[in-house]
Amino acid sequence: MDIVALIQANILTPVVLFFILGIVAARIKSDLRIPEAISEFLPIYLLAAIGLHGGLEMRKTGFESMLVPLLVAVALSILMTLYHYQILHRLGKFNIFDSYALASTYGAVGAVTFSVGLSFLKSQGIESEGYIAAILATLEPIAFILAIFLTNMAVSKQMRTKKEPFVKNDLDKPVSGEEFGIALEQSKTKLLTVLRESITGKAIIILLGSIFIGYVIGEHGFAPIKIVFEDMFIAGIVIFLIEMGIIAGQRLDDIKKGGAFLIGFALAVPTINGLIGVLIATYLELSVGGAVMYGLLFASASFIAAPAVLRHTIPQAKPSLYITSALGITFPYIIIILLPVMLMVSTALHNMDAINLMGIFDQVLQ
Amino acid sequence: MKLFDVKLLTITCEILAQKNVLDILGKYNVSGYTLYEVEGDGSKGIRGQGFKNDKNVKIEVLLHQDKVEQIAEEIARTLFSDYAIILYVTDVNVLRPEKFS
Repeated sequence: MDIVALIQANILTPVVLFFILGIVAARIKSDLRIPEAISEFLPIYLLAAIGLHGGLEMRKTGFESMLVPLLVAVALSILMTLYHYQILHRLGKFNIFDSYALASTYGAVGAVTFSVGLSFLKSQGIESEGYIAAILATLEPIAFILAIFLTNMAVSKQMRTKKEPFVKNDLDKPVSGEEFGIALEQSKTKLLTVLRESITGKAIIILLGSIFIGYVIGEHGFAPIKIVFEDMFIAGIVIFLIEMGIIAGQRLDDIKKGGAFLIGFALAVPTINGLIGVLIATYLELSVGGAVMYGLLFASASFIAAPAVLRHTIPQAKPSLYITSALGITFPYIIIILLPVMLMVSTALHNMDAINLMGIFDQVLQ
Repeated sequence: MKLFDVKLLTITCEILAQKNVLDILGKYNVSGYTLYEVEGDGSKGIRGQGFKNDKNVKIEVLLHQDKVEQIAEEIARTLFSDYAIILYVTDVNVLRPEKFS
């Protein structure tokens, strides 16, 4: 299937159509809303379903095969966040705080995007490795830890270069060495609190817990809850994406404020990161679907979990920038265009591998 | 019935600043507060629709004069520049002043 046809077919899926419906509803100022309790419940449900699915798959495949992809993913996620920062700060001329915040938003994984990816593969009838859910769970705190670490660097950098208190309103008072020490101490305590909070946060707990439960119960134990956690998975995403569409639609006007550079960044960076992920996953011998999900880990930007952390760790950054670009630009781009593209690339790479392997096989025979 | 003068400190802020405000209240050993989720419009645009993290909260604290000034000063100093937040102090009367410190 050629890429345009695949994208067209992807648009005509309930997931994407309901997302677009949400955007349209928000644009024409409809009062359509998903009740708050449901839109708070659905991310938990989606993570539980992802976790259970991952745990079940890991029971079949075991842990050994996941170690290398996991370590590579952690390294990639750190490297990518760092290069995002360089691009944003040096080329985009964003200030330190906005650059760090955006860099870690795009370095973090998007659990919603991940769910859409799973449903996309499911609709294509393609399987993916279950342990990618465990990688998702590992990358989630990594992105936060990195965000906190980067903030701390920003804090001490600002203190050292300007010799001014971190808090802008305090400019009338000169800083004494003692206050400087206290401020540094405070930023360290902040680091530990946020670290603990992100690891015990609801996303990690439900995801890791579900992976564990899925692993323990196996197919037999899963059978009675399968109707909710597997058969209704796509329906859950559809309902959640109405809400995401509405929020994205409400924020569309903010996109212009971000400027052309940010729009370019929000489209180019996920594409590059996603394709790097697919390439590496193929090299690490993940399946066609697994490579797409692996690429998606790096392509996606976090728009639910990351802003909550960033608002505390980098309060100086403008949340409208990173939420709008992640949800308003990157998310629709990924679910409509990038997913089919990554699937095409992954399929092509795997076919190439197969051809190469067969070539080698032939040579050996001769 | 005898009424006593105390101050009502009201803070309306984005929900993600809630913890910072409560930490400051805790630092001054405030004996209690009331908190509720609210929506509103202001310099940061309409807030409270969409994600839970976009909501606002309103925190009310009854305090004596001296403490109100310290707390308001610290909130202004540490939070005003980065968060959507407003703060005001009103005079109120209570029956049991010893309850609020």
